[in-house]
Amino acid sequence: MQDQMTPAQRAAAIANGSEVDRLPCNPNIANGVARVYGCKISEFNHNPKVIAEAQMAAYRKFGCDGLRIFTDLFPWAEAMGATVAYPDDDTADLLKPAIFSVEDIDKLHPANPYKDGRLPVQLEAMKYLKDLAKDEITCSAGIVGAFTNAFFLFSTNKTLKFIHKNPEAVHKLCRVSLETCKAYAKAALDIGLNPTISEPMSSCTVVSPKVFREFSLPYLKELVDFIKSYGSNPVVHICGQTNKIWQDVVELGIGGISIDNVASLKECKLAVGSQTKIMGNVDPGGIMYSGTPQDVRTKTLEGILDAYDSPKGYVIMSGCSLPVETPFENIQAMMDTVREVGYPVCPERVREMIQSSK
Amino acid sequence: MDNKEELLKSLSECVVEMEDDKIISTAEEYIKSGYPAIEGILYGLVDGMNKAADLYENEEYFIPELLICSDAMYNGLDVLRPHLGKSDYKQKTKVVIGVVEGDTHDIGKNLVKIMLETAGYELIDLGRNVPAVAFIDSVKNTGASVVALATLMSTSTDNMKEVIDLLNREGLRENVKVVVGGGPISAAFAKQIGADGYAASAVEAVKLINRLIGV
Repeated sequence: MQDQMTPAQRAAAIANGSEVDRLPCNPNIANGVARVYGCKISEFNHNPKVIAEAQMAAYRKFGCDGLRIFTDLFPWAEAMGATVAYPDDDTADLLKPAIFSVEDIDKLHPANPYKDGRLPVQLEAMKYLKDLAKDEITCSAGIVGAFTNAFFLFSTNKTLKFIHKNPEAVHKLCRVSLETCKAYAKAALDIGLNPTISEPMSSCTVVSPKVFREFSLPYLKELVDFIKSYGSNPVVHICGQTNKIWQDVVELGIGGISIDNVASLKECKLAVGSQTKIMGNVDPGGIMYSGTPQDVRTKTLEGILDAYDSPKGYVIMSGCSLPVETPFENIQAMMDTVREVGYPVCPERVREMIQSSK
Repeated sequence: MDNKEELLKSLSECVVEMEDDKIISTAEEYIKSGYPAIEGILYGLVDGMNKAADLYENEEYFIPELLICSDAMYNGLDVLRPHLGKSDYKQKTKVVIGVVEGDTHDIGKNLVKIMLETAGYELIDLGRNVPAVAFIDSVKNTGASVVALATLMSTSTDNMKEVIDLLNREGLRENVKVVVGGGPISAAFAKQIGADGYAASAVEAVKLINRLIGV
């Protein structure tokens, strides 16, 4: 089944309430694009052209509604002094934080996105991607929020304890992280990409809503406001359970909220669907990576049934970035299911499709 | 309430209330008063840690709180442990724990480790991104009777099966219970790879291992 519109046309039409060919769908392929393009993931660490071409290759293969420059969680901490391991053909991993003692927090400086670590590689990749994508698909620049980045600067365990033992230190780490986030977001905006924010450590699976409100939300707000002041409206993704903080996040006036598979799409629609676009949430591990195309089809249909009528819009998505080795046929099954459902969504038909696929 | 009971209550409260400094002087006072260290551990520290775990299960405590509670427990343990009598040392069941190769997330594994230590197990922590063969070597070297495997990444679940296959090949499987846990894991998966059990949380992991070991 062929798409009748480009992702950019589809997004524009949805935005002004016109007819479209299908709901938007972003499987969130992440570094799995290396498998589509045929390169090693370590090439993403130094070769901006390969990052962009691999993203484009995934778009051409699957027709997904979203491309993003976002190779791993650590380029910003790395640019501020953290050490990152680069496996030959897997996603980069944090090896050592930037600092080891609380006294060194004052020695941290915001990163210069044009100079430090791999940030210039990512910015170059954005330019290539922008050229390749032309007006066919809008591209985004992934970034981690200030709170999450703080944990990579000063060891996760220590920072978790500092939330109670030395709150001022956590605020300092967030503050300097925020400056890095803003500088990077500005650089991406200058190239013409829309920043999207990932805040995994803000999850209710990790910290309480109260801690989120005190230590993460103020910086998230500042970053969102900063990005909005340039006319872009970021999507925010938080992993794990997030139901108790949806309202806080959505009140920032964001472009959309992307939720993980442990949260309920239906609950999210009822809670905040009238305020922002909701995105999610097929299980990236249990279904997309380990399941069959049939499983993917069923879960995609169930998601559509739960959220197709969300007042501010709905994007079918995986709950989080897909594992690198996610089978192509599962990604294809997600896209094909969305195409088959078409638009406008007829809930009775979706129910029938679920019944007959069981 | 007599002084001993009050001190036990206070030790427990120090753990629950994250008082990782105050607990040191409380534990010292408890020892100075001549009360048995073993009871201070079981009815003070462990009691507090169990209450903290309940708060975690009920979503009143989260990971930062549980980590500081465990710091308080370990600080108390450092004071009380040197005062244990010989008869207090029973042979502890050894558990080898680690995050399997391909994954470096270890917050969940650390919580399981804390709760198992609280429950009286001796933990051998191999850390994160652990190759299958390292679990086998550790079982051989330590005589551990439980292997606890964790991962948050669906991509590294295959390596859990590899650990079990290696235990079989080395003839060690019969004497070792294998338990698995983590985001992408389910009870069905545990059964499928031939593990002895699956736990969805750190508290459940303790119950599971107690059941398997028969305590």
